[in-house]
Amino acid sequence: MTRDPQIAADAAMWVNRLDQPVIDTSVSAAFDAWMAADARHREKFADLQALWHSDTLTQALDQSEATVVSNAPVAVVAHFSGLRRSAPWLAAAACAAMLMLFLLVPGLQVETYRTGTGNGQAIVLADGSHVELSGDAELSIRILPWRRDATLVRGEAFFDVAHEGWRPFRVQSGASSVRVLGTAFNVDRQSPTRTAVEVYRGAVTFAAGGAENIVLRKGDRARAVDDRIAAQAPGPNAPGHDKPDWTAGWFEAADVPMSVLIAKVQRYSVRPIRLRDPGLAALPVSGRFQVSNPARVLKAIRGAYALEIRYDRDAIRIAPAPGVPGS
Amino acid sequence: MPVSLPQIDDMPGAVPEDWEAIGAAIGRYVRGRTRRSDLVEEVVQETLSRLVEQSRQKTLVSIYALGFRIAANLLVDHHRRDRRYLNGPEMEQVSEAPLPDRIIAGRQELSVLIDALAAMPPLRREVVVRRRLRGESCAAIARDLELSLKAVEKHITRGLADLHRAMAASDN
Repeated sequence: MTRDPQIAADAAMWVNRLDQPVIDTSVSAAFDAWMAADARHREKFADLQALWHSDTLTQALDQSEATVVSNAPVAVVAHFSGLRRSAPWLAAAACAAMLMLFLLVPGLQVETYRTGTGNGQAIVLADGSHVELSGDAELSIRILPWRRDATLVRGEAFFDVAHEGWRPFRVQSGASSVRVLGTAFNVDRQSPTRTAVEVYRGAVTFAAGGAENIVLRKGDRARAVDDRIAAQAPGPNAPGHDKPDWTAGWFEAADVPMSVLIAKVQRYSVRPIRLRDPGLAALPVSGRFQVSNPARVLKAIRGAYALEIRYDRDAIRIAPAPGVPGS
Repeated sequence: MPVSLPQIDDMPGAVPEDWEAIGAAIGRYVRGRTRRSDLVEEVVQETLSRLVEQSRQKTLVSIYALGFRIAANLLVDHHRRDRRYLNGPEMEQVSEAPLPDRIIAGRQELSVLIDALAAMPPLRREVVVRRRLRGESCAAIARDLELSLKAVEKHITRGLADLHRAMAASDN
């Protein structure tokens, strides 16, 4: 019994050595000799190797990484630059990772896509997934041999994810995240604390702030405000549509704050749109708007919500119409 | 006077393989990764038959290393096939969770591992996350964290031993 910790230490050393990109023949022979020497060696190695490869360990590391990242944002930046520097090494290590031998490892660095006002972009990722990015958006993508990560920094994106049963695809938007293996879904980052998700094929897991975690299936919509997730009635997209409205320039608003609608219109408007009254930003709006045509939307809401809209040279300003009580 | 001829079948100096020991070790590994007992038997048999076949064709550098690798790949294949079968062709997806019968056991293991990671010195945890989760090479980790290669390897092996100890303690 006294030698058990030593056996565990040796076994852990072998797990790590066999995980290296290049394994020397003398090292391999030494490994076989060690394994052949004692049944306890074989048992300990089998246990540690299973632990090292387990999905549970991936999840545990994933969660502990999340806490590390939120405590030290500076470390993340350093890590990204480190990733870029070490990309050839990473590729070598990844090729050797036992589970992944049969994989092609495309790029491992973080790719960032930014779009300007009114200009969306269609992207094909290294794993074959398609992304349609709205105007005025930013998305960064990192593809590793065991997972695919996207971060929606701003804007809205429609994802058609290549199905890979063993490699999840995760989209982070503020405190909420969507995890899938392969499906089509839309993520709309409406504000730093507000994200809406709609599923067009398959199913996804939607989480916010680590507290909640729900499964959304085809046709389901939900939104996260801060840490709270609320399911929503199915959208007009429900049957027969395989893409969100916005990719054709439309936005279906179901009881959303005015500021969200204006942010959509802003994606297509070169001039900044300003809400002059903070009360207006929170005003709930509903309706189907052609956001790709800002003038038309503004005209529609002017009548419906009794607003005054001024087209100044530097900005479009929206204020409550004079003489309307309680707005 | 009898002359002893070298046997053609055997490589000079090669030790005959102990298939039973290899099978038992692979079996233990597979059981550690899936709760499906039918799958364990299947993966072990398939691994052994591939090993026998390959060892006939060429001298294997390490029969154990190859055996564990084949078993790991077979598990991935099975996992993928099962998922497709369970969900039906057009229901791609759902959670990243493994097989349904793994989930409950997995949850407890998950909290044990999370606690063990939290209890680790931060530098060790950082090294393990970089190596296992992000797939960075030991050399890259050593460079980024300004450690020696030896120190990185020490952190990984000690970290893994820590996690293993925590799991073993929770079983008792």
